[in-house]
Amino acid sequence: MFESLFLYPYRLFTKGEFLFASGWPVWLLVFVSLALVAAVGYLVFKQHGDNLKGRRWIAIAALQGVVLCLVLFMLWRPALRVTALKPQQNVIAVVVDDSRSMLLKQEDLSRIESAKQLLTGGLLDKMKSRFQVRVYRAGENLERIQTLDAVTGNQNTTHLGGSMKQMMEESASLPIGAVVLLSDGSDNSGGMEAETLGEIRRRRIPIHTVGFGAEKLSKDIEVIDLDVPLRALSDSRIGAAVTFRHYGYKGQKAKIGLMADDKIVSSREVALGEDGTPQTETLLFNAGLAGARNVKASVVKLPDEENASNNAQTRLINVESLKPRILYVEGEPKWDFKFIRRALEGDRNLQLTTMLRTTQNKIYRQGVEDPKELEQGFPVKEEDLFKFSGLMIGGIEASWFTPQQQAMIKNFADRRGGGVMFLAGRGALSDGGWAASSVAEMIPVSLTDRKGTFHRDPATAELTEAGRDSLIVRIEEDPKRNEDRWKKLPFMANYQETGPAKPGATVLVDALPTSKGRHPLLVTQRYGRGRSVVFASSGTWRWQMSQDVKDLSHELFWQQGLRWLVTETPPQISAAPSKQLLLDDGNVEFRADVRDKAYNPVSAATVEARILGPGGVSAMLTLTPDANQAGIFTSKWDAPKAGSYIVEVLAKNGKEEMGRDVFTMIRQDGVAESFHAEQNRQLLEGLSRQTGGNYYTPATAKSLPDDIAYSEAGITTRETKELWNMPALLMALFGAKAAEWLLRRRWGAV
Amino acid sequence: MAMNRHLRAICVVLLLAGACLAFQRRGRLPFLDDDDLPEPYPTDAAEKTEWVFARLRYNSYRQGAGMWGVRGSWSTDYPKAERHFAQGIRRLSRVHVRSVEEVVDLDTDKIFDYPWIYGVEVGHWDLTDSQAAKLREYLNRGGFLMVDDFHGTIEWEIFMRSMSRVFPDRPVVDIPNKDAIFHMLFDLEDRIQIPGIVMFYTGNTYEQDGMKEKWGGIYDEKGRIVVAMCHNMDLGDAWEHADMPQYPERYTSMAYRIGLNYIIYSMTH
Repeated sequence: MFESLFLYPYRLFTKGEFLFASGWPVWLLVFVSLALVAAVGYLVFKQHGDNLKGRRWIAIAALQGVVLCLVLFMLWRPALRVTALKPQQNVIAVVVDDSRSMLLKQEDLSRIESAKQLLTGGLLDKMKSRFQVRVYRAGENLERIQTLDAVTGNQNTTHLGGSMKQMMEESASLPIGAVVLLSDGSDNSGGMEAETLGEIRRRRIPIHTVGFGAEKLSKDIEVIDLDVPLRALSDSRIGAAVTFRHYGYKGQKAKIGLMADDKIVSSREVALGEDGTPQTETLLFNAGLAGARNVKASVVKLPDEENASNNAQTRLINVESLKPRILYVEGEPKWDFKFIRRALEGDRNLQLTTMLRTTQNKIYRQGVEDPKELEQGFPVKEEDLFKFSGLMIGGIEASWFTPQQQAMIKNFADRRGGGVMFLAGRGALSDGGWAASSVAEMIPVSLTDRKGTFHRDPATAELTEAGRDSLIVRIEEDPKRNEDRWKKLPFMANYQETGPAKPGATVLVDALPTSKGRHPLLVTQRYGRGRSVVFASSGTWRWQMSQDVKDLSHELFWQQGLRWLVTETPPQISAAPSKQLLLDDGNVEFRADVRDKAYNPVSAATVEARILGPGGVSAMLTLTPDANQAGIFTSKWDAPKAGSYIVEVLAKNGKEEMGRDVFTMIRQDGVAESFHAEQNRQLLEGLSRQTGGNYYTPATAKSLPDDIAYSEAGITTRETKELWNMPALLMALFGAKAAEWLLRRRWGAV
Repeated sequence: MAMNRHLRAICVVLLLAGACLAFQRRGRLPFLDDDDLPEPYPTDAAEKTEWVFARLRYNSYRQGAGMWGVRGSWSTDYPKAERHFAQGIRRLSRVHVRSVEEVVDLDTDKIFDYPWIYGVEVGHWDLTDSQAAKLREYLNRGGFLMVDDFHGTIEWEIFMRSMSRVFPDRPVVDIPNKDAIFHMLFDLEDRIQIPGIVMFYTGNTYEQDGMKEKWGGIYDEKGRIVVAMCHNMDLGDAWEHADMPQYPERYTSMAYRIGLNYIIYSMTH
């Protein structure tokens, strides 16, 4: 339609430069046009001003003026100047995506088959008639092929960016006029590097893309993400957040399963929500014994599902046999003290050391490593306190701690990265003078100077919205059942009023006194490298004493809460990879954070990584200090094979070993290709737009050979396309004259 | 004639009764006369505290099942013993204690609000099966039972008739000296038998055939004492008569220390 009105395709107008081929100045056109319009206006007014009603003469004059201006415009010879490829002197690179995602079928035809059909159905011949055509297949690398039979869809990955980069390098001496990319846009490398894109732009090579595959699968469910911690304590309960989305199964049920080392550890049936909307379900499971644990989340294939290979994701968890220690300081004997201790006796992974002030001057210690430990009271040296991973401060006044000890408590979270929990009591929080202490800034709720905030009155606990999603307070695996179970918990024996949660803190549970009101009960926040939490009650013992002995609510709550408190507490040497899951690309950076016993950064250390991988892969490398961050050591490495890797990082100060850390990572090849299998039109369009090319569907690709001709790359010539004879201009001319004639007839001004 | 016989018989009965009465008055020591006088009710009795002396009310063996004694053996030394002891706990420790006691029984769930309970003269108790089951549940959930003031072989057997139905599978053992319960607040390796006031009548520190004190206990599967027994002793009397000049201070002092150790043990284990 456009072309029949304007002689040339729209794309030509976007690429071409507009000019007047007569060579006469444009100002003259404007001047003559204005003069003629004024003259016509005068003459029409003089002739018809009296016999036409009102200002009708203006309409007549305007139409006559338009006709004259159009004639003048055509006399000036409007034209488009375009740069076009010289026939048979340029090379067109046709790149066909050869990755496995191209094998996905739509209406019984795979994407590859559709691409081949398009090329062999005339497109290739049409291009060959005007250009030299080279055909390539793109997967992990770019490879020139002689026939399309070589495109089979057997490549595990698609690196479009890498392929284009390779194309630029290999064709530096070739007159590449354009690139035609036939793909579904499913790229595993994260797009194109800026450097490659810059090179393509510099050479002005347009990339025309033809997109294959549905932009939205009609029947599919896909596991988008599996979020599990990198490391966990042995025998601990872990939450695996499985995120998935579906198309075409709204309202139906799907079964999610979780496997650890090929054994089913958890499963759940879920109702599917809106099409295309990500849904997350958290499955809990036991981490088991120490070692690397392969965790796989999968959704059972649904009826008529188009792509079942995206129904599972795998991660690796490093299960550690550590037994983090928590120091609990309590100001007076209380029942919660006993029941918290009992709850943790059932936890093989946490070690609770307690200091209980039984009289004004007596401390009763439990869980100490030797009789001398803590004999002199609360530690006065950082290295003694920092041996612990968590710290609980019960009903004990702030003034019981020296200013130095208070500073150590802050550094415990801030620098050491530990977890600090503040509990309720007669000597706790506001009643213990903590509001005026230097520690107040790390407490996640605001405290006032008011006393009498601790009440020995019953209060129930209610999950907040954040609490409903949190794993810390998950005593039942199913979120709904968990919420119900919290509602059924017996009331707590007491509660403590606090101010509101500070900005950045999260209230997970509220306390609802049976009298009235609502107060934050369990509040968490990050503080420096660590975390702090307030639990504003010391009356949870009723959850144990008022429920059947087989009920484990109390035990689970405290075990999970305290594991959360310490699980992320870093050791002296903590190391991690830049990414734990390497998809088709083995490049990874190791990063180690090296600290001394007081957790001050140490840069004068020797840090080495020992790597063991699949098929006997073994390597040693030295990490080098980061010039910008004290105590940080990094090194890059390329994992050569798909499989699981275990990396041990060892730090030494001279000959003395400072500590070591172990982490795991996994490389998967060919898996990413099955995910996000719908056509990534956004990527293809973006690639075309940024390089001056166009995006086509198989249906619109007919015009591709003509469009290719207009390119500034390769060997070109400049062409001038006259526009004066555009049908649209002639139609406008006759239309204006016809309208004038009709108006004159109607108004009697003939 | 018959009249004279009747008069003589009446006189004999009166004489015998008078002799018995006279003998009894002589047997009761004068300093015990005021022993059961009620003390002023503490003004802070309504204070809400962490710990409360919870006295176990049970049905006695001689009363028959299902009937509570109005002032049965469960109430021996009540309420003076616990109120004296509460003052001692306040003075000697940081335990937040209520000045007055609470009476609990095994027929309601109120007992679960008091994780430490005290049973006195349990040589007379007679628990029903449901009461034994409730006590077992209480102890398994984390409760602690201290029993006291029962003496000799017969009372031990009566005590065990009910206790063995609470824990058929857990033996009663002598708590070793090294156990933490004797080293909580006070180191009590050298303990002594704590007698009741009966010693003022008999001159002995024991009653019946219970000459040797027994520090018995029942442990749970994790090695924690859940029932502590003071057999052939009467700590209740030692608490009750703490303000009596004639009652030896060493017994009261030991009873306070034992009681405090047991309480703090129950709040830490």
